[in-house]
Amino acid sequence: MTDVSTSRIRNFCIIAHIDHGKSTLADRLLQVTGTVQQRQMKEQFLDSMDLERERGITIKLQAARMNYKAEDGEEYVLNLIDTPGHVDFSYEVSRSLIACEGALLVVDASQGVEAQTLANVYLALENDLEIIPVLNKIDLPGAEPEKVIAEVEEIIGLDCSGAILASAKEGIGIDEILESIVHLVPPPRDTIEEPLRALIFDSYYDPYRGVIIYFRVMDGKVKKGDRIRLMVSEKEYEIDELGILSPGQIPVDELHAGEVGYIAAAIKAVADARVGDTITLASDRAEEPLPGYAEAKPMVFCGLFPIDSAQYEELRDALQKLQLSDAALQYEPETSSAMGFGFRCGFLGLLHMEIVQERLEREYNLDLITTAPSVVYRVTTNSGESYEIDNPSQLVSPDKREKLEEPYIHLEIITPEEYVGTLMDLCQTSRGIFKDMRYFASKRTTLIYDMPLAEVVTDFFDRMKSRSRGYASMEYHLTGYRENKLVRLDILVNGDPVDSLATIVHKDKAYPMGRALTEKLKELIPRHQFKIPLQAAIGSKVIASEQIPALRKDVLAKCYGGDISRKKKLLQKQAKGKKRMKSIGTVDVPQEAFMAVLKLQQ
Amino acid sequence: MLETEILRTTKIVESDRDTPRSAYVHIPFCRRRCYYCDFPVSVVGDRRNGTNFSAITEYVDILCQEIAITPQSHETLKTIFFGGGTPSLLSVPQLEQILATLNQYYGIASDAEISMEVDPGTFNREQIQGYRDLGVNRFSLGVQAFQDELLQRCGRSHSVKDIFTAIDLLRQIGVNNLSLDLISGLPEQTLAQWQFSLNSACDLSPEHLSCYDLVLEPVTAFGKQFQPGESPLPSDENAAQMYRMAEKTLTENGLEHYEISNYGRSGYQCRHNRIYWENRPYYGFGMGAASYWQNWRFTRPRTRREYYTWVENGAKIDASELSARDILLETLMLGLRLADGVKLEQFSPEVRRQIAIAIAPYSQKDWLVVLDSQNQSLPLPNQSTFSNNKILKLTDPEGFLFSNTVLTALFKQFDVDN
Repeated sequence: MTDVSTSRIRNFCIIAHIDHGKSTLADRLLQVTGTVQQRQMKEQFLDSMDLERERGITIKLQAARMNYKAEDGEEYVLNLIDTPGHVDFSYEVSRSLIACEGALLVVDASQGVEAQTLANVYLALENDLEIIPVLNKIDLPGAEPEKVIAEVEEIIGLDCSGAILASAKEGIGIDEILESIVHLVPPPRDTIEEPLRALIFDSYYDPYRGVIIYFRVMDGKVKKGDRIRLMVSEKEYEIDELGILSPGQIPVDELHAGEVGYIAAAIKAVADARVGDTITLASDRAEEPLPGYAEAKPMVFCGLFPIDSAQYEELRDALQKLQLSDAALQYEPETSSAMGFGFRCGFLGLLHMEIVQERLEREYNLDLITTAPSVVYRVTTNSGESYEIDNPSQLVSPDKREKLEEPYIHLEIITPEEYVGTLMDLCQTSRGIFKDMRYFASKRTTLIYDMPLAEVVTDFFDRMKSRSRGYASMEYHLTGYRENKLVRLDILVNGDPVDSLATIVHKDKAYPMGRALTEKLKELIPRHQFKIPLQAAIGSKVIASEQIPALRKDVLAKCYGGDISRKKKLLQKQAKGKKRMKSIGTVDVPQEAFMAVLKLQQ
Repeated sequence: MLETEILRTTKIVESDRDTPRSAYVHIPFCRRRCYYCDFPVSVVGDRRNGTNFSAITEYVDILCQEIAITPQSHETLKTIFFGGGTPSLLSVPQLEQILATLNQYYGIASDAEISMEVDPGTFNREQIQGYRDLGVNRFSLGVQAFQDELLQRCGRSHSVKDIFTAIDLLRQIGVNNLSLDLISGLPEQTLAQWQFSLNSACDLSPEHLSCYDLVLEPVTAFGKQFQPGESPLPSDENAAQMYRMAEKTLTENGLEHYEISNYGRSGYQCRHNRIYWENRPYYGFGMGAASYWQNWRFTRPRTRREYYTWVENGAKIDASELSARDILLETLMLGLRLADGVKLEQFSPEVRRQIAIAIAPYSQKDWLVVLDSQNQSLPLPNQSTFSNNKILKLTDPEGFLFSNTVLTALFKQFDVDN
């Protein structure tokens, strides 16, 4: 099975926007090549995390090896390397792209190109991948393949004369896709005789076998029992198990240049075998690692606190375990005067943050308070000292700092023309600086803005979607830091500042924000036996205030005709709600209040 | 907390294996639906009652069928409660049919309390005389307010004058166990109006009074129009004040405040309702009626059609069995409604300890007291306070006013996840 010449290997990935049918197409390819039998098929085979299947997105990428007998009578090995479909994971996408020689560009024939797809196509072009355009969902009544083809040609500049019209759902165009992969995607270079260099494009943590590395052999060969060296982490391991993914793991004895597989080598944490690292042999080392390695740098930080402080140790253990399988997750202890002991955690983006939070609550059964996400600010003090902060409460007072800088992104939005006005308005209110606007013949437009990352790390995405009725898509990447007039907006509950409610905002937005935030908190915090003043303040200056009136009675007068079930349900619901609250001083604050800052706009 | 630990509170579990000696019978018919009401009710209009409306005849037949096919015990009934709806829309022969059926299958004790809810303007002398002759010995009159504008405001189908006529009639016939219902917290109701209603009620010397603070149920006309504590409803502050006014006025007039919303002269507490609050078993018959027996709580279908189908299919009690935890929570939730409170001896030491932890945050509030066997109040919070032979109760009126807060804390303490 492993003895296949590099000339008959094809490595490819699928670039597609969420919902454009990547997973369905992958399933179909596995089925048509007989890799997965019909009866074993569960929907969307490659998305193996429950969370992924629930959300219909791919978070963790995987791979599958297929044997395909082409029309020329030859047997080929096709390796599909799946890519995650979210902006938070663009580094992982770039690593899986360079493991391939070709890519299927899947575009929904009724929707057109989306921003994230575009970003990934550019990445693929930069890495010299052969791109095969596939128009999916042509069976749908709204499909306009001609229009979408024109758009792909216009936006990407890609020759679409050979574009394949397909419907993964109906099985249309699948054979043509397989043939195109064989004939258009170049075979890997035959570098079997060179020293081993294999690229890690994914890994996961298995509690019994340690880290399982997914890799593509770029040069040389690797055998079971080999002692390998990871060139960036400089760690060495002996291979316990080597194999291919089909898509289940099948052990083999050897893999050589061009092939894709997995390794188990009793590696303790994914941080020791990071995506992008190069595997070589300890005895016969390659001279240079493969280019392009980068360490995932968290862009978004938040505090995670157990509602019940007794769960602190459990939370620490859970984070430790999660980090074994998620090298991008960072955490360090945080002590908050309001919330007690918890952790400051760093994430690649909001989705990554949500996933971690949900896994902690679901898989580890923890009740958590998440504070509003913050970006990393750069502070320069009067003495000229410069440092980064990821927590608004760390910001020194204005008289002690010379400047405060925040990260900016390059943002691209692709939208149907009719939403340009409302989206420009959204970008404007989000402190965006207009850069460019491009129209396409297909009546769609690209908007390009420079924007503070902090504005995107809110409900920006949801607002963009709702303003465009779901039609607009976006992509962004970090460009650098800029100085701005930023202030820290403090929130006082019952007269005491609550550090976990503090945010850094632009000075011009502080007043409306303070008003909106105190109003929202008034809605979210339940009444207590006493009046609770809520204030928003910049330094010692109060800029907005509200008051939660005292609870004067809390009694259910009637329990009619012996039917007590409803009253009991009500009390149970209240008890559950109370369990999800954090006591700050004498005030019980529900979980949602700490995220209120994200929900102010509607 | 573990189920097994709660299970060691054997006494409360055993008490629920008792045989019911009480029956609730639901008569769903009403002339109109009041704006605050979300009970299972069938509206029949102003000119119909049991003698001329075949729907009531049909209902009574099916109700009797349910009574007949429900598994019976050999214990006679000591309390029966006809609630509604408006039970006084029943004709005397219809009531006779129901009581005869109950007597045939269960037997009715000679000293049984038989209560009936009646509404002003729905009955005449002969009817009440007839009910009395059949054994009804306690009448509960739906008064609600002594202001015509307030009665209209909540959709009642009677006037203040009808109230006085009804009471005169009941007293003339010799009814000596009469209860009146009042509602506080109605839209546009003032503190002065409420005081007037309380005084007017006391002038009529009822043996029993129920004062309900308006509950806004989401599916009612009021629930759709108003927000709690906001105009035209009285502020929470005023609604709480009304509760305190009731407590003060009624106790000064010799009525004992024995349950959150109920007052009675000595010897006139409602025996039937006490069964609920003491968490003891009872039968329930009729559309929407709830029953509790052998750790099963069951509420019958809430529309007539569904109820009829259910009876035709054998009146099967389809409920999940209550756990020891459920019984514990229900015992607390119901028992703390009573001025007598709950007896701590029925709980295991661990359960008592958990109760002490749950209520500790309220020890400075003057909401709760623990009494020893000599009825001496003991200081809170002190876990040794929670040994045997003690009683835990809410204070009147402040503890009662915040009973939900205390109960929520207890529910949280005994939540499944803890």
